[in-house]
Amino acid sequence: MLVNRNPLLFDITSECKTTKARVGKMVLPHGVVDTPVFMPVGTQGTLKSMLPEQLDNMGLQIMLANTYHLGTNPGPEILKRAGGLHKFMNWDKPLLTDSGGFQMVSLLKLAEITEEGVKFQSLNEHKGEVMLTPEHSVEIQNAIGADIIMQLDDVITTTSPDYDRIKESVHRTTRWLDRCIEAHANPETQNVFSIVQGTLYEDLRRRSAADLVKRDVNGYAIGGLSGGESKDDFWKIVHLCTDLLPKGKPRYLMGVGFAIDLVVCSALGVDMFDCVFPTRTARFGCALTMTGQISLRKPEYAKDFAPIDKDCSCHTCRTYTRAFLHGIVSDLPVACTLLTEHNLAFQMRLMRGIRDSVREERFPEFVRKFMLDLHPDRDYPSWIRESLSAVNIDLL
Amino acid sequence: MKFFIRTPQQRAPRLGVLKDIDNRPNVEIETPLALLHTQGGHIPHVTHEVFKLVSKDPQILQIPLVSMHCFRETMTYYDGTISEFIGSTNSLSCLTLHDPSNLTKQGHHIRNKVPIWTKQGKVLYDPEMYMDIVESFKPDMYCLLSDGDTNMTSAQKRISKAVENTISLSRQCLERHKKSVQLKNTFVICPIAGGYCLNAREKCLKALLADQDELNGFLVDGLHNNGPEVEFLPFEEVRGVVEFTIKNIPPDKLCSMQGCWNPLNVLKLVQLGVDMFDTSYCRILTERSAALTFSMEEEEGSESYEINLRQSKYAYDFTSIMSSCQCLACAKYSRGYIHHLLTVQELLAPVLIMIHNIHHYLKFFKKIRECIENDTLSELEHLISDQYKSHQEKILSGKVDEEELQGFLNNMGDIEF
Repeated sequence: MLVNRNPLLFDITSECKTTKARVGKMVLPHGVVDTPVFMPVGTQGTLKSMLPEQLDNMGLQIMLANTYHLGTNPGPEILKRAGGLHKFMNWDKPLLTDSGGFQMVSLLKLAEITEEGVKFQSLNEHKGEVMLTPEHSVEIQNAIGADIIMQLDDVITTTSPDYDRIKESVHRTTRWLDRCIEAHANPETQNVFSIVQGTLYEDLRRRSAADLVKRDVNGYAIGGLSGGESKDDFWKIVHLCTDLLPKGKPRYLMGVGFAIDLVVCSALGVDMFDCVFPTRTARFGCALTMTGQISLRKPEYAKDFAPIDKDCSCHTCRTYTRAFLHGIVSDLPVACTLLTEHNLAFQMRLMRGIRDSVREERFPEFVRKFMLDLHPDRDYPSWIRESLSAVNIDLL
Repeated sequence: MKFFIRTPQQRAPRLGVLKDIDNRPNVEIETPLALLHTQGGHIPHVTHEVFKLVSKDPQILQIPLVSMHCFRETMTYYDGTISEFIGSTNSLSCLTLHDPSNLTKQGHHIRNKVPIWTKQGKVLYDPEMYMDIVESFKPDMYCLLSDGDTNMTSAQKRISKAVENTISLSRQCLERHKKSVQLKNTFVICPIAGGYCLNAREKCLKALLADQDELNGFLVDGLHNNGPEVEFLPFEEVRGVVEFTIKNIPPDKLCSMQGCWNPLNVLKLVQLGVDMFDTSYCRILTERSAALTFSMEEEEGSESYEINLRQSKYAYDFTSIMSSCQCLACAKYSRGYIHHLLTVQELLAPVLIMIHNIHHYLKFFKKIRECIENDTLSELEHLISDQYKSHQEKILSGKVDEEELQGFLNNMGDIEF
C-alpha cells in the first residue's frame, strides 16, 4: 500500500481545449487510476465469474463493491477479521464502495427515511427492523476498507416531482455528510466522497454543491441521476454539476455506463463512472461493440466465424468465434466469463480512447467519429447534438 | 498419434506414452492419464485462459458429443479442428459419446441408432451421421459409436442387444474410418460392451478384435450409465469384467475407462492395467461444493478426504483449502472467501473449487505414474484407502453433523446442470 499524507492525489495532466474533458491521474492507497475511468461493479466481493488475476492482466485499475450486500454477507465482522475486502477477495488494486443507501431504497420497498437514517426490514433470518445511519454505513465501509467510500445520502426517485421533499433530501444529505466525516475512522487510508443531490432542480443542485464544497472531502459524486429521467434532463444536470464542482478534485457520475453516455459525460468533465450494465448484459449473452451491442443468442451467428469485434484485443476476441460463443452462450457458466471479459475490455478500450484523444488534442474528432460509427445515417438523438454542442462539438 | 508401452515387462500396472502426434512432434503425454472432461469444449466453470494458471502441460480434452451436438452443422462450414474451434488450439482432443458427469437416460433404442440426450432433447445418431461429425471435428482421438446402455442390473436380453448393437455400430464406423483421408492418423478407440456378463464381453471382444490392426485402444464400456453414482460403484463388482476384458485385448493397445471413478477405484483399476480415465469426478465434487483434500504423501497428513466449503464452520476460516497445495485457489484464496461466494451463489465459487480439484486430481495422476515407476503403488493405495474409507464411514454412519450430510444429499440432487 502506498503511504501518502493524503490518501488521494489528483493530478490533471491534460485538458481538452474545446470541451470540458480532462485526463488525470488519481493516486490512491492501493494504486494509480487513470481518469476518466469506468469502474466495473463487483457487488459481493467478486466481479461476477472473473478471477482478480484476469482483471489485473487486463489492466483494470479500480472496481466497485456494494456495502449493503457485503454488510449482509459476509458481514463486517468477517471482513475485519480477514483484514479487509482487498485481502479477502485477493484484489490489491483500488476499490470503491457505495454507502448502501441506494440499494435500500431500490431493493427494499419498505425502507423509511428519517433524520436518523434509513430504516428497513432486514433481509436476514431475524427479519427485524434495521436502521442504516450515516455512522453505521461508514463503520461498515471502514471494515471493508475501500480506497474510496461514499457518504450515506438521502436518495429520492429522480422523477419525483415533490420539490419540498427533494429540498429536504439536499439538506439532509449535507447533514449526513458531516456525520459521515465525523464517524470516519480511517481518514489516512480511505477517502469519503460527498454526493450532490437535487434531482432535476437546478437551484437545488446549486445549493447542494455549494454546501458540499464547503466541506473538506477529496472527491465529489453526482447522485440522483440515471434513474429514469429523460436524456434531455440528464445531460443538463451533469453539465451544471461539473461547472459547480471544484476543478481540482475528481467527479464521479454514479450509475452511468452506456458507451454513449461515457463519451458525452467525459466531454462534460466527469472523471469516474460505474454501472452494472456491461457485466450484467454479458451474462445475458450480449457483447458490446463500437457500433452497438450484439446478442450472441441470435441464430444469425451460428455460422459467423469472426470474433465479436475484430478490433478488440481481449482474450475472448483473440480466441473465439461468434459461432462458438453462440453455441454456449445460454448454456454454460464459462460463457459468462468469456463475455464479461470482452465487455470489460470494451469499456476499458473506450475509456483509453477518450483519454488518449484528450491527451493528443483530438478529442472532438474522437467524439465525432464515435457518434458517426454508432449512427452512420447521422440520425443523432437530439440530446446528443445538444449536449455536445454545449461543449462546442458539432457532429458530422 | 500412437501409444507406446514404457514398462513392457508387466501387463499391469504399467506406464505408457502417447506420441507421434500430427503437427506436434515434441509432445508426449504419459499414461496412466486423466483426460480433461469438458462441456462445450471447456472444463466446467474454467476457461482455457484460467486453466493456463493451473497447468501448462499438454493435455487431452475429452469432448463428449452430447455437449457439442449443437455445433454439428456449424462445424461443416468451419476449416479448423475442434480444438481450434473451442479455443484451445494447443490441446489435443478425444471425442466421446456421452457426458460421464451426467446420468445418461436409459432405453429409447432404435435399430442402428444410438440416442444421445442434448439440451434440446433426444437425438439419434447412426454410424454415418456420427462419422460425418468425426470428420468435421477432426479430433486427435475418438471412440467408435457404441451401445453402452447397460449397468449392474441389466437383464440378459438388454446385454445381448447392447453387444449386438456395439459390434454392428463399431464396424460401420470403422469401415468409414478406413476410407477416410482426414482420419488417417487419428487414434481409434474401440468400445467393448457387455455389461457384467463375461460371455457377452467375450462375444463383443471376439467380433471386434478381428479389426485390431485398425484400433489403437479399447474402452471398457457398458459398466454404468454415467453420472455421480459411479463414484460409489463397488470395485469388487467391476473387477471381474475389467480383468477379463484387459486379459483379452492385445497388450500393446491403450485401455480406457470413462466415468466419475473415485481415486481409490482409479488406483485399483490402474493396477488392473487401465491407462486412461477422465476428470469428470472433479465436476461432481465441485457441483456439491466439495474440495479434494486427501493427501498423497505419507508425511503430509490430511484433516479429511474432502471438505464441503458450504459448511458454516468455514466462514471464519482464512486458511487455504489445503495448506500443502500449490494451486492458484490455495495460493491466493481462503476457505472463508469461497464459503462466502457459495453463500451468495457467486459464479466464482465453482471456478475456484474446480481449479483446486482439477489441480489435485492431475497431481494424483502424476503421483500414480511416479509410484508405478518406483513400484510403490500399493503404499499409495493404502494411504488413499484409509482416508477415503474413513470419510465414507463418517457419512454412512451418520457421524457427520446434520449440515454436512444435508449439503451432501442436496448437492447430489442438483448435479444436472
